[in-house]
Amino acid sequence: MSASLGYQAARRLILGGATRMVARGMASEKEIAARMKSTAGINKITKTMKMVAASKMRGDEDRLKAGRPFQKWVDGFTPPPVLLEDFAKSLDKLPQSNLLVVITTDRGLCGGVNSSLARVMKHMVPALDKEKKDVQLFIVGDKGRATMGRPLGEFITQINSDSGTPYNFSLAAALAQDVTQIKADAVHVVFNRFRSAIAYEATVKTLYPPAALTGEPYVEYEFEPDTKTEVLDDMYEMAIATTMFTSMLESAAAEQSSRMNAMENASKNGEDLIKELSIQYNRARQSRITTELVEIISGASALES
Amino acid sequence: MLVARGIFQLAARRGVHTTRILASTAPAAADASSGDNLILNFSLPAASIYRNKPVASVVIPGLAGEYGVTKNHSPVIAELKAGVVQIVHETGQAPEKFFVSGGFALTHANSVTDIAVVEAAKLEDIDAEEVPKIYAEAMKDYNAAAEGSKEKVEAQIEVEVAKSLAGALGVALT
Repeated sequence: MSASLGYQAARRLILGGATRMVARGMASEKEIAARMKSTAGINKITKTMKMVAASKMRGDEDRLKAGRPFQKWVDGFTPPPVLLEDFAKSLDKLPQSNLLVVITTDRGLCGGVNSSLARVMKHMVPALDKEKKDVQLFIVGDKGRATMGRPLGEFITQINSDSGTPYNFSLAAALAQDVTQIKADAVHVVFNRFRSAIAYEATVKTLYPPAALTGEPYVEYEFEPDTKTEVLDDMYEMAIATTMFTSMLESAAAEQSSRMNAMENASKNGEDLIKELSIQYNRARQSRITTELVEIISGASALES
Repeated sequence: MLVARGIFQLAARRGVHTTRILASTAPAAADASSGDNLILNFSLPAASIYRNKPVASVVIPGLAGEYGVTKNHSPVIAELKAGVVQIVHETGQAPEKFFVSGGFALTHANSVTDIAVVEAAKLEDIDAEEVPKIYAEAMKDYNAAAEGSKEKVEAQIEVEVAKSLAGALGVALT
């Protein structure tokens, strides 16, 4: 795809053969025409993907707007979410053992949503490891496996992919059960927060398991039923399920907006390439005609003389 | 969390859609001068029913029993069971009743109460005639399941939720 390849690289790829031949002789019209046809075909695909992503984004945005308030009950007793870039700068504040839950997408061709997370993870996780802190990774999304599976393989505890969209609370609850089984002093959910159709930001939301809390937590609260530890454990599991649910909703909306923009850029690049190829094509055609004319005329004048 | 899934299946079977509730409730702006009111946040994963809504009182179905909350109630963290949330918007009015699945309710020191449940439906939207049928099916599954198996526990949850529904709607079960 032109968007991910980069404009110059894509141009060289498609025009590559043609530019070489121009140096040697004349680029074949047929070859240029063939390249124009294939570029036009790809363009149709990227345009369609953009429209599909736009409509899916609307649905995901609606679901997100409806589901975002549900996160508020958790925000009441947990630290506020922070930007991933800020989180990565203050690793020394983290406890001894950490579980990073990273929300990525299942499908590709969605711009930088996954690669931006993976890039930071690939620096951060080894850095934590070097500081003798325990790090485990819980990955959601097939692209997480693709981007982080090999470089961070030793840290990965679980990968969950192809769960089927749209995400629902049942899935989040099932994943939460797995997450709460993993022992850690802190759980950090890493995801892309949807800001708008053109903007998303990598965010981290941290939750602390009750077992890891020091001192007497929630001392000002009465507990119903008064089995405080059990209520706290259940509440923690529901808090994890809630956080995973809302972060998956954000991630889904961010994915569609990013795909929409990536496909828009790919289509634009494709159109520019077709324009350039068209100019090349005409040049080649004109020079062919000129050559034929010259041949005819010189042949005619040879007959005359 | 199994309680949540029990009512989930129940609601899915009955086709009760949370979206229907939304038509009648608009999110109210935070009221600074709430007077004798507490601020209520009542939400589900699929939708927010009330956000920063000043209400007179709420009755919440805790696991240990129903309890009422008014302004300046002491802070509570309660685990909920499937039951009825009753909201009195203004003193003297009849309560608005919702049947809810399991979840949590937190009442904070600043008179803000958060109720977070997995599913909720207005009591009036629930078809009372279906409840005995649901109960009968749940009892059948319960009796057929092996002792100590996952199916047995899930069926037990369905039975309890059905009983709770019947109690809330005033339906007799055989």
